[in-house]
Amino acid sequence: MKSPAPDPITLEILYNALKSIGDETFIALMRSAYSTNIKERRDHSTAIMDTAGRLVVQAESSLPVHVASMTGLMTKLLDKFGGDIGEGDIFIANDPHVAGGTHLPDINMAMPVFDGGTLLAFMCNIAHHADVGGMAPGSMAGGMSEIYQEGLRIPVVRLFRGGELCQDVFDLILLNVRIPEERRGDYYAQVAACKLGARRLLETAGVYGFDPLQAAFAEIIALTEKRMRHAIAGIPDGTYAFDDVMDDDGLGARDIPIRVRIDIDGEAIRFDFTGTAPQVGGNINVTANATHSAVCYALKALLDPEVPNNQGVLDIPELVIDKGSLLDAAFPAPVAARANTCQRIVDVIIGALAEALPEHAVAAANGANTTAVFSGTDPRSGSGYLYLETLGGGFGGRAAKDGKDGVQVHITNTSNLPVEAIEMEYPLIVESYGLIEDSGGAGTYRGGMGLSRVIRPVGGSCEFNGAGERFTHQPWGLFGGGAGASGRFRHVDAGGGETALATKPMGVRVDEGESIVIETPGAGGYGAPGKRAAQALADDLASGKFSAAYLKRHYGYSPGEE
Amino acid sequence: MSWLIGVDVGGTFTDFYAFEAAAGTVQLFKCPSTPDNPARAIIEGLAELCAANGIEAGAVERLSHGTTVATNTLIQRRGGKVALITTEGFRDLLEVGRQTRPHMFDLQRDHPSPLVPRALRLEVTERITAGGQVVGELDAGSVASAVAALTGSGAEACAVCLLFSFLNGDHERRVGEALAQAAPDVKVSLSSEVQPEFREYERFSTTVLNAYFQPVMERYLGDLRRHVGAALPAAALGIYQSSGGLMSIDRARRFPVRTAMSGPAAGAVGAIHCARLAGRPNVISLDMGGTSADVCLIHDFEAGIGHERDIAGFPVRLPMVDINTVGAGGGSVAWFDRDGLLKVGPESAGADPGPACYGRGGAEATVTDANFVLGRLSPDGLIGGRMRLDEAAARAALAPATERLGLAVEETALGVVGIVVATMVRAIRAVSVERGLDPRDYSLMAFGGAGALHAGDVARALGIGEILVPPAPGILCAQGLIVSELKEDFVSTDRILLAGAGTGIVQAHLDGLLDKAGAWFEAEGVDPAERTLRVSLDMRFVGQNFELSVPIDQQTGGAQPRLPGARELHDLFFRVHEQHYGFHNPADPVEVINVRVTASAALPRAAAAAGMAGEAAPPAVSSRRPVHFDGDGPRQTPVYDRAALAPGHVLAGPAVIEQFDATTVLHPTDRLRIDEGLNMVIEVGL
Repeated sequence: MKSPAPDPITLEILYNALKSIGDETFIALMRSAYSTNIKERRDHSTAIMDTAGRLVVQAESSLPVHVASMTGLMTKLLDKFGGDIGEGDIFIANDPHVAGGTHLPDINMAMPVFDGGTLLAFMCNIAHHADVGGMAPGSMAGGMSEIYQEGLRIPVVRLFRGGELCQDVFDLILLNVRIPEERRGDYYAQVAACKLGARRLLETAGVYGFDPLQAAFAEIIALTEKRMRHAIAGIPDGTYAFDDVMDDDGLGARDIPIRVRIDIDGEAIRFDFTGTAPQVGGNINVTANATHSAVCYALKALLDPEVPNNQGVLDIPELVIDKGSLLDAAFPAPVAARANTCQRIVDVIIGALAEALPEHAVAAANGANTTAVFSGTDPRSGSGYLYLETLGGGFGGRAAKDGKDGVQVHITNTSNLPVEAIEMEYPLIVESYGLIEDSGGAGTYRGGMGLSRVIRPVGGSCEFNGAGERFTHQPWGLFGGGAGASGRFRHVDAGGGETALATKPMGVRVDEGESIVIETPGAGGYGAPGKRAAQALADDLASGKFSAAYLKRHYGYSPGEE
Repeated sequence: MSWLIGVDVGGTFTDFYAFEAAAGTVQLFKCPSTPDNPARAIIEGLAELCAANGIEAGAVERLSHGTTVATNTLIQRRGGKVALITTEGFRDLLEVGRQTRPHMFDLQRDHPSPLVPRALRLEVTERITAGGQVVGELDAGSVASAVAALTGSGAEACAVCLLFSFLNGDHERRVGEALAQAAPDVKVSLSSEVQPEFREYERFSTTVLNAYFQPVMERYLGDLRRHVGAALPAAALGIYQSSGGLMSIDRARRFPVRTAMSGPAAGAVGAIHCARLAGRPNVISLDMGGTSADVCLIHDFEAGIGHERDIAGFPVRLPMVDINTVGAGGGSVAWFDRDGLLKVGPESAGADPGPACYGRGGAEATVTDANFVLGRLSPDGLIGGRMRLDEAAARAALAPATERLGLAVEETALGVVGIVVATMVRAIRAVSVERGLDPRDYSLMAFGGAGALHAGDVARALGIGEILVPPAPGILCAQGLIVSELKEDFVSTDRILLAGAGTGIVQAHLDGLLDKAGAWFEAEGVDPAERTLRVSLDMRFVGQNFELSVPIDQQTGGAQPRLPGARELHDLFFRVHEQHYGFHNPADPVEVINVRVTASAALPRAAAAAGMAGEAAPPAVSSRRPVHFDGDGPRQTPVYDRAALAPGHVLAGPAVIEQFDATTVLHPTDRLRIDEGLNMVIEVGL
């Protein structure tokens, strides 16, 4: 017997309670975790899924790319264990090819919640662990050519059975990752978040009842889908296309095309990625569910940023992607750096729809998830360390304002690690951290600026691994706006001599006295530079963000001229 | 005769609470605020208050002041022209912040631009390490250039923010001295003095805000001191700080950022005071006004202290009473979201035009309109009948939503109230359940203009069994001001592994802080018997990055707090971790990040306003009207005038109790009793 859908008032009150659960578990996980990715950078997400594995509520601060992993895990979990899911079980997984993941460091967890012996929902969370084993510390470096090199592959397995920890499984996992004592803490934090959410869900079910809650899950999803379809109907029907390229895969393949054709017909929207490159040897491949989440991000950002994040959004786009292509990579494709490619998927979608939605579209942002990993042995303690960071850059120029400088864009929104936290925790010194002059593309509304961070080891050497994008292809401008600067990695020796590094460098040794310079891309400008306001140009110069020469070259601007 | 006066400046009204200890006399007064110069309402109001009640100017011993001047300065961007001097290579740190966007999906929304433009963010060559050692000496030439650039810029204030200054403030001090010499008129804020704590962006942001407030607050407090000095020659002036205590005016001029949450903190302290008088150690306060609601959890007569929050989009790291503010007030507007769900707030109709029923042209349905349609508010209106409410306008405003939902107008109104209650419930859950505390173990104290109107619904939703409504719910913040302590917080940051020599290092930090606290007591002239010292440690497992505050010891009357041994410190931490996160790892190493000492000095306080005990005759019903409590239709409900209620009186619901600036709804299954302190104590019939 199905309960009727709750009225809009009850539904709103209930939905508030469910959002509270999402947010409370998100904060609990962040605060009790060990990986810097989670505790400082918030590279984690929490969600409530219904018994069919459909996303009902995601914590507000969750990352778009995690959505796919969570629904991916649920699909595989229900396929594999459908009839054999018990109270007190907790399932984990990370593998992109067999377990619905998007890359290995994201550890996915799902806990079935039973109310009076009947399955009510699943509490899920996902967290980016600082290491998951494999050939490079941090499990994120460029240069890896198959999934096995990227770390431990975990299919959907139980970490808890009937409330008891499966110690054998846990031991096996911890033996395969670097700094296992910290990773153990991360798993505990995730388990605690699942249990906390389960408790809260049961309290909510106690207030509203089992059936009304189930009906509310369905109604929340249905209303969101209706809202989203309505927004799509507002885009003029037609076909929109765009293409762009990835710099390289870290293993020699360059200028890898990504192509999209978007067909809009009333409330239906179809994304056809035919013409995109086949999957590559390096680890910038993307599994289909990660492509799906990037598409959903772009839709939500362009059409309705406040729409709740649930299955109602996920069900909207129809996707056409060739199996074995860059955007639906097949086993054993490596995928660690998939976030960079997801950024490009967003770029091509925004690029395609810009003519239809000029007020909402933005010029190309830094288009990357510039990753830097420093690792080695801490001379103070003799134990290993690993510091992973992803850096923001420019945000694209917009229809009525400049792009923001030095910020995470699109599918990621992770914090930086404070300089004082880096230096307290690791034998590293940050020499400088700031915006890069002249890096924002010219435009009526200019693109945002890239970030520069210079880091050197103290008391010994360290190893540097990185992954950059838009290092050879600049972020494009829109409606006449200029391109932003590209990014780069550099190695500076003790004498100050500089060596350019690859876009995806692996295993770079950095001795004491030497440093690594990370420069992230800027972003493209929006609209013709000639229309930029004189006051804005004067500010560009006075702030020191742009040189007189740059302003002269791109805007024909000289100080004193009006 | 010796009077204590609390004055709380709000957006609409400036409230006064005057208390004379010998006779136990209380006088309340309200006058319109004067936002262009808040001091004017204070001075004029004081004159009126004193004249009306025969208070001699010389008999006012203390004036305690809660102020929103700093916060408003920020919201309206009217602060001083500020420069920043920072470590070479890091001038953009203030702008980049944590490199995040405020909203994941919104392509148009940004964090606010920094308060210091880039051209005024100056650098000096120097470097201190994570160990506090100087690896780069402060370069005199770079200091001279920065100072020269600053003096030429017209900056009125300067924040000095160097890396690791919380471990070693020497370089900041020297830059400050150079500034004092070259530009004596420029107000200087050093990050090592404003808040010497780990995490540079939050520390820098706090320090820059302090500098931004300084010129404005200097003028305001200088004016106020002069006027108060002339009007009330014997009165000591205390300024309320966000951590829930008073500070001297000199400290307020140096550290104006500490007043950023002054008003709400005073409300929490007023609530604690009332909780004491009512003998209820565990209370959740709900202060609901026209645009927002503040909730605060009070445990054992103490409000929680948080150390970080955003103020108008800027992070502030300072001890602040842990108040959760949500956009739920009487003026909150009901609207339909794009998916058809009914929402209430955070948009508010404000004071002007205000809710539709005010009849000032407001057309949108608000929470007040809903309450009015439900019969919960008197048609004779607010503020003791000075403002009549327009029923037709309220119904007209609710009509579109009513039609869309296909409900009766009263059902729609119940929905609007239900949703605004849900918002407050979520806020209360955030300060209770999410910290491992059960709201059912607490009483709900309702105040502000709209708190007692909704308390019955809020308590029901949370399973809270008792509601307290203080005698003057509209003026509790001003009351909080006169019962406050003088307070100062001290902190020392280090990373100390709690094993081996660890406790010795913690002890050394503690000794240093206790010395500072002693010096502060002396400087403020606090008698040893009135001194209270509280010690807490911010602790975490090694490898975690968020610390939990663990209370360690508290001593009053001149005794020194003590640090227990390592074993007990571990246990104290485990307990707090368990409470917050539901687990702890007994085998994992634990470290201390901050050692904190809070010094406070008890000031003469107001006692209970004694009521007449044992009133026998039941109070008179002043009128009756139909009131909706739930979906079961209206009930003919007696209305009482609160002034007619005396200690010992008991009422059974349903009832409505009206007073000058607040209305209390007593639900049908509830019982109300007036206690000795004139509080309404409502037993909720769950």
